[in-house]
Amino acid sequence: MIEARDITVAIGGKRIVSHVDFAARPGEVTALVGPNGSGKTTLLKALTRELAYTGTVTLNGRDLSVMKPVEAATLRAVLPQATTLSFPFTVREIVRLGLIGGRSGVLPGEDARLPERALARVDLDGFVGRFYQELSGGEQQRVQLARVLCQVWAPVLEGRPRYLFLDEPVSSLDIKHQLIIMDTARDFARRGGGVVAILHDLNLTAMYANRIFVLHGGQLAAAGSPADVLNDELIESVFDCRLKVGALPAANMPFVLPQSAA
Amino acid sequence: MAEHSIAGAGRVMAADGDRSARARFVIALLCLALALSVFLSLTSGASDASAVRVIRDWFTSTMPADAALAARDRLIVYDIRMPRVLLGVLIGSALAVCGAVMQGLFRNPLADPGLIGVSAGSSLGAVAIIVVGTTWLAPVTLALGTLALPLAAFFGGLAVTLLLYAIATRQGRTSVATMLLAGIAISALAMALTGILIFMADDRQLRDLTFWQLGSLAGATWPKIGTIGPVILLALSAMPFLSRGLNALALGEATAGHLGIPVQRLKYTAIVGVSAAVGASVAVSGGIGFIGIVVPHVLRLAIGPDNRYLLPASALLGASLLLIADAVARTIVAPAELPIGIVTAVAGAPFFLWILLRKRGVVDL
Repeated sequence: MIEARDITVAIGGKRIVSHVDFAARPGEVTALVGPNGSGKTTLLKALTRELAYTGTVTLNGRDLSVMKPVEAATLRAVLPQATTLSFPFTVREIVRLGLIGGRSGVLPGEDARLPERALARVDLDGFVGRFYQELSGGEQQRVQLARVLCQVWAPVLEGRPRYLFLDEPVSSLDIKHQLIIMDTARDFARRGGGVVAILHDLNLTAMYANRIFVLHGGQLAAAGSPADVLNDELIESVFDCRLKVGALPAANMPFVLPQSAA
Repeated sequence: MAEHSIAGAGRVMAADGDRSARARFVIALLCLALALSVFLSLTSGASDASAVRVIRDWFTSTMPADAALAARDRLIVYDIRMPRVLLGVLIGSALAVCGAVMQGLFRNPLADPGLIGVSAGSSLGAVAIIVVGTTWLAPVTLALGTLALPLAAFFGGLAVTLLLYAIATRQGRTSVATMLLAGIAISALAMALTGILIFMADDRQLRDLTFWQLGSLAGATWPKIGTIGPVILLALSAMPFLSRGLNALALGEATAGHLGIPVQRLKYTAIVGVSAAVGASVAVSGGIGFIGIVVPHVLRLAIGPDNRYLLPASALLGASLLLIADAVARTIVAPAELPIGIVTAVAGAPFFLWILLRKRGVVDL
């Protein structure tokens, strides 16, 4: 369980997130949604201790602020929005970095094979020998996800659930890989781990999230199941768009929803 | 045959993205290269003293035919060449490893200890001793004797580093970007103060200064090695513990923290270690450029950027290259001697430019 109470984050004197309560349960995919600049990434960075915050964050009941980096690293892995690299690493070398501080949870001998398995999970079979810088943006993002998966490969370690924090994991991916990545996240949750993901695609959110937290202007606008939260009033007040939830387009207008995946 | 198998091994390693076997092989080769360089340095020089003969006499402990000649050779090999070779190994490895660590820390393949002002601070300390060591700082010089210059350079470098660290650290976090920018400002200030001292210097001091600034291993003595050796060895022995953290840092500070690396402690250790090793090096040998940039860069092309291999390989290659440069410096215009800084710059700068032009597409600067 991740619990955050009364989280406030100020950057350079400006309050980006104010008094937000948040919770993510193991076994669930928890989505953070909201318009640009609503404080989603800032809240995620507070939950991962990347930014200083006031309030309390607990991970499996333990106060995050007193955890050593290596303790936190065994409990959760974090996928940033983008990662730039300054040196020519191969894909294998990047993915292997996931094994640096955390504990994958596989048998010691299997660690060496884990990069290949993680890459297969994100549909990058045979990419181990490529140079990271030569890959496309979407491929790089999937390599980073493979690295993050290595860090917490077993969703539950010694009886304690572990967590994935994903900041826009599918924003640069094509539809096939959006589904693969979200399936991977859901699978991680179903096997007992917890997932916190910032998502922009409301259809994907509705399909994969068990719970949604909606941020607006640094404050919590709504929280609950997709069916409870995603309604016309919320879309209009938070996203400033008059859209109808569940309305079908005109008959001659093609549309493709992830929900139609066989 | 050997050539063929190396190239073959390289291809296979690259195919599965694992360059660690190749890195170990290169490190073994570099050990051999260092042994050869040490041998070359001990046997070459302005005099015809034969290190081989000295070593043979030592092992067989027979009375040499010409006792006077043997005594002279022993003196040259034990008291001139050996400390010089040892100094070359210490400084070459220190400069190369510190370059690699700084580049990892700043996440920039062009970073160098010279960049954050350590070298400028050391220079200021040394120049102060050369110029005002007999007047204003006379008590210091009298008390420390020949160690005054290296110690002043060492503390000059350390003072700059601690000042920078204080400026760049807010609420327990050190901003690498602030440190870089403040380093440029403090470098400029240290160089201006050095300039004032140079302005005050007389002709003889100016010559001393110029030679010191160009860099040389000529001042190698056993006492100097006793002073800086422990500092450099201590700093270098901390570096292997940094390699995992520096690897993680390639992904950015935040991600390194998420991977379980104590980033603040890593940065602190790296900065203090580098300033100690570089301060000690500059103190005895003056400014020797390009080793810190060229060595890690070349090795990254050969074995990749994994610091677990890059740091030891840099130490070996840095030591070998500096010994070779020193052998060139003291034989090319024998019996006179060229400052080694000139040799490393003349060989290093064009080589570095060539690498930049050739690899521009791959290495994102």
